[in-house]
Amino acid sequence: MTRYLNLYWYFLIQRLKVLMEYRASFILGASSTIVWQASSIAAVWVVMQKVPILNGWSYDEVLLVYGLVTLSKSINHMFADNLWTLGRVYIRSGGFDRFLVRPIDPLFHLLADRFCQDGVGSLLVGAALLVKTSIALGIDWTPDKLLMLVVGVVSGGFIFIALNLITCVTAFWIVDSVPVTRLVFDNHLFAQYPLSIYPRAINILLTWVIPYGFASFYPASYLLNRDVGNIAWFAPVVAALLLFFGYRFWRFGLKYYSGTGT
Amino acid sequence: MIRATKRDLSAYASLFAMIPKVFMAYQIWFWVGLVLNVISMAILVYFWRAIYNDTSTISGLALNQTLNYILLAFIFMPLTNNDLIWEIGMNLREGMIIHHLLRPINFQGMNYAQSLGTLVTRLMLQLPMVVVAVLLFGLRFPSDIRVWLAFLLSALLGYTVMFFFNWLLACLTFYTTEVWGLGVLIEGMNFFLSGALVPLVMMPEWVRNIVLSIPFAQALAVPVGLLTGITPLSDAPRVWLIQVAWILGMWLASSLFFRVAVRKITVQGG
Repeated sequence: MTRYLNLYWYFLIQRLKVLMEYRASFILGASSTIVWQASSIAAVWVVMQKVPILNGWSYDEVLLVYGLVTLSKSINHMFADNLWTLGRVYIRSGGFDRFLVRPIDPLFHLLADRFCQDGVGSLLVGAALLVKTSIALGIDWTPDKLLMLVVGVVSGGFIFIALNLITCVTAFWIVDSVPVTRLVFDNHLFAQYPLSIYPRAINILLTWVIPYGFASFYPASYLLNRDVGNIAWFAPVVAALLLFFGYRFWRFGLKYYSGTGT
Repeated sequence: MIRATKRDLSAYASLFAMIPKVFMAYQIWFWVGLVLNVISMAILVYFWRAIYNDTSTISGLALNQTLNYILLAFIFMPLTNNDLIWEIGMNLREGMIIHHLLRPINFQGMNYAQSLGTLVTRLMLQLPMVVVAVLLFGLRFPSDIRVWLAFLLSALLGYTVMFFFNWLLACLTFYTTEVWGLGVLIEGMNFFLSGALVPLVMMPEWVRNIVLSIPFAQALAVPVGLLTGITPLSDAPRVWLIQVAWILGMWLASSLFFRVAVRKITVQGG
């Protein structure tokens, strides 16, 4: 374990050296994510100036939901973005074979190969939203709520990572896994708003099938003392199950993998 | 001997299996793109329905008017989309720009013709989304042919405004030599400023003033406003005039900037 942590550190240092060579690109990359988020938030702000309540949720409460999912997403974006490129960059070019002959877990190698700086933008947006709404709503940070914040965000991050892992493994069969990953990943957009605004089917989907709800709606409900909040304590279980399944699926895909002949 | 043949065969079989996979990938993208669009559209629709839970009109717009606007803005989003930054940026990166500049044809004119072709293709590709919007989300098109004509002219003018504006922005890549980040940044701004997410009439006055003093909205919010009837047909001539003024200003600015910027060309190899 410590060996892997050390290794990750070395990978990260190397990556940062590269990034510092292209500083303008680093700043533009991080700020572009911020601008995208700002656009969506600006739209919510404009509308909720006119109508202050969205299905029982105030503007700041909506932003809390938005902020939590953005924080979880940033964990995935920073540390696991390379999953997206497994097929396009590594398998198609044959570069993946390089991982297989090294004495470390290929999944670890894939993840550590590229820390994605663009995720820092999401992290900043999410943190800013959390601080802003926490003050505006006067959330009372009792120990259980603090714990929920950590549990919710970290489990949420792992739910993002696990779902991307499960979908990216299809690269071993179809090479370009990006469409499959996008298909699942984009469902997180639902979770940017309180799930209660959607029909029942979408609620079930986002809770039990593609459980991004555990990254935003449920922990936010807990922090705001709402009814459904207690479900949020299931988040670590959901994340662990998904990760377990994802890793097993990864091992299964790895067995099938035979290279593209490039 | 048998083992070697077997190994060869399995290697050739993998190579054979590669090709259908590559073809499949393009097919998959079409369907996946469709589903992703349905997701985005559904979120917008449910968000607005929830917003209208406790009120019947916002800034004079009823739910069905607002939804019509949002759905049409979604469908006509390609009007704001211009690949000039990537196009010129990539040309710059690979050094191809030199060949284009040497051609005995106006470089800007050539790009405009190409981008119109892209626009028409993109709009055609939105057709499945039109079907989805009509069947799932109750989109209604206006029946008055004059509204359509007013919209089409305004859309073409607005698109042209954005073409020159994007040209101006593309010139920035001559200085930054950074294409990808800049492109994504501008797309992100466009997302809100084009009026794709909120009808302009709902914006607080100072926000609307900002939005109308930069070009993004000319290509989407303005023509779609005409199409949905939020902007009355009688206002159409005034709308067109403003758009023509925008075109003149942007054309002038972009030509001047290009002339200056082109001297800065630093080709990054190729």
